[in-house]
Amino acid sequence: MGKQIKKWFSIAFVAIVTVVVFATNQSTPRRYPARIPVRFWHRWQGDWEKQVQKIVDAFNESQDKYEVIALSTPASGADSKFIMGVIGGDPPDVMSMWNGAIPNMADNGFLTPLETLMSPEEKKAYFNDSYPVIRDSGMYKGRVYGITIGSDLYALYVNVKQCREAGLDPDHFPTTLEELERWGDKLNQYDKNGNLTRLGFVLSSLDYIAYLFGGGFYVHPDGTYDLNTPQNLRALQRIVDERKKLGFEKVLRFNAGLKNSAGAAAWPFMTGDLSITFDGQWRVEELRKFRPDLEYRVYPVPPPAQNGKPLAGTISGNFMIVPSSAKQKEGAWEFIKFWSGLDDPNRAAKFYNLGGWLPLSPAVTNSPNFQAWLKENPQFKAFLQILASPNCKPMPAIANLQFLNDQISRAEDQAVRGTVTPKQALEELEANYKKELDRRRALGYDN
Amino acid sequence: MPRGNRDKAKQNLVGYLFISPWLIGFIAFTFWPFIRSIYLSFTRYNIVTEPKWVGLANYKMLLTQDELFYKSAWVTIKYAIVAVPLGIVAGVALALLLNINVKGMSVFRTIFYLPSIVPTVATSVVFMWLLNPNIGLVNRILAVVGVQGPAWLSTSPWAFNSLIMMALWGVGGSMVIYLAGLKDIPVHLYEAATLDGASSVKKLRYVTLPMMTPVIFFNLVMGIISAFQYFTQAFVMTPNGGPEDSTYFYSLYLYNRAWKYLDMGYASAMAWILFLVVIVLTGLVFRTQKKWVHYGG
Repeated sequence: MGKQIKKWFSIAFVAIVTVVVFATNQSTPRRYPARIPVRFWHRWQGDWEKQVQKIVDAFNESQDKYEVIALSTPASGADSKFIMGVIGGDPPDVMSMWNGAIPNMADNGFLTPLETLMSPEEKKAYFNDSYPVIRDSGMYKGRVYGITIGSDLYALYVNVKQCREAGLDPDHFPTTLEELERWGDKLNQYDKNGNLTRLGFVLSSLDYIAYLFGGGFYVHPDGTYDLNTPQNLRALQRIVDERKKLGFEKVLRFNAGLKNSAGAAAWPFMTGDLSITFDGQWRVEELRKFRPDLEYRVYPVPPPAQNGKPLAGTISGNFMIVPSSAKQKEGAWEFIKFWSGLDDPNRAAKFYNLGGWLPLSPAVTNSPNFQAWLKENPQFKAFLQILASPNCKPMPAIANLQFLNDQISRAEDQAVRGTVTPKQALEELEANYKKELDRRRALGYDN
Repeated sequence: MPRGNRDKAKQNLVGYLFISPWLIGFIAFTFWPFIRSIYLSFTRYNIVTEPKWVGLANYKMLLTQDELFYKSAWVTIKYAIVAVPLGIVAGVALALLLNINVKGMSVFRTIFYLPSIVPTVATSVVFMWLLNPNIGLVNRILAVVGVQGPAWLSTSPWAFNSLIMMALWGVGGSMVIYLAGLKDIPVHLYEAATLDGASSVKKLRYVTLPMMTPVIFFNLVMGIISAFQYFTQAFVMTPNGGPEDSTYFYSLYLYNRAWKYLDMGYASAMAWILFLVVIVLTGLVFRTQKKWVHYGG
């Protein structure tokens, strides 16, 4: 009898384990199994992923033909994952991708030109109504390969309380970079060993700051380029001088000891470790959510007193792409229209506000929903000012943009460390770019 | 066909059928890509479109124009020169210590072996925290003795040194092989040495180490191969090649060329150069074995 019970127990145990293993292996059941599935990959995690899911849910509820199924992929490996999907014949139907990766993918035939999915009216609206800099950031060789759903710009976040404590008036913000640096000096705090405990302000990000000096990184349609220019040299020299003044190692240690700066609720500006910091517009929404009590201001970075350009910078961010081998391009396009606001700017305004993203067009910005949100978050206006400025430029639309961006970061890093002078760093940057360009041309690429 | 031969053929067929899942996988996922990459290294290839023949262009550019190729190769060679011998010394020393007959030795062996089965990515993330210049355990301990530790992963040469230090963390894997080698040394050799009046140091020098040479040789070859393929830790801890490219390992550069810049032809050429270097080095090590590796007891 005992043996029999043991035997039955064993069989039941094996059966349960089998059921559990196979049952958990099934993917989440679809909410709308009768609809056409549209698979959407994106690069957001944490709180952002929840916001993205809200937009996906809104789309699924807005119509009864498609069901968008969202999948979050790690941001750092998203482009490789996408490429693997394309090669394996199992790509998503639509994906939000960092715009820096788009030209190379477009050049290699991975992507669908999105104007081929647009109706004549949509095409007209897209080309006439979008912010030029955002529209151009998704284009390659005159074709649209990416449409924004979350573009980013950078400006200065200013801690009001800390400024006032240091005898500075945050409502009369510096109009020149030189004055801003003096503010930074007053806001820095050190411990008894001379280590930074609070960082007032430090200049960095050559790829962005260069535009404020009247420079920037340009590759022209005829293949010529402006990389090692006097303006860029002035920008890099200023970054290096600033860092030397503070102490390279000191800033490095201070930054390394901060909490994860990418995390939504753990941004060091929120904890008071940074008094004035250069960051993206999405922080406005994060501050509203996680630190509504923190009094702050946002200002565009002031240009240098001599030969500076106000409201300058460059666009980056998330753009919707459709693989050339996508199975459900129509569904993908419907979703892109829905989110970007091409068909209904007022509805889409809410989506942009969920993540604190920059809108596609003035039509979205001027919509009642966006204006209402702006009233509650007036600090966001600084970014809209930059967005509308002619000094705000797209990144060069070249296939080897990732290489160029890597070289710009490398030049800044080496100059700041003192391994090479700013002049040598830019010379090396241009020489490396030329070498790579020559190599690519010898292999038959255009750029 | 005689019955005996028929049975043997049948037996062989059954054998191949049993290993066929592995065989098919090996041919499809290892052997074929391996052969195919020879052809790809002579092409311009982006994975999606058909490869375009460019002759020796990739190799020529790598060898004559690409500074980063030489820089990353040097970082990798430097790592192999330091980390492989260090790993052998640490592994043998640890094995000798853990070969002593004391109570609870199996617990110590387990403790030392454990790190080698922790996934590399997890280990890398833990080390990123340990080596944080402000809040990391390493600098906290150094601060107790009055030393201000460096910004380990952000300054050169400390970033490279950190990765070397981290390599010792996984020495438990080879330690187990050394332990097995130690257990294999015949006891009568030690008895004879004792009768001859050999001290412990002399026993180690003239009995233990020579008898361990086949195991050391095995670990040396495997160590060289894995050092030249070093990737994960550098990719996780210093993804952009570290400060001043000091941790821009060859495989990391190869990966970036392939997946970041979509230059599969160029990356294939890099892979083949790496393969040839590893083959040559392994061959050289094999040629030296007659002089220092002692087989048999």
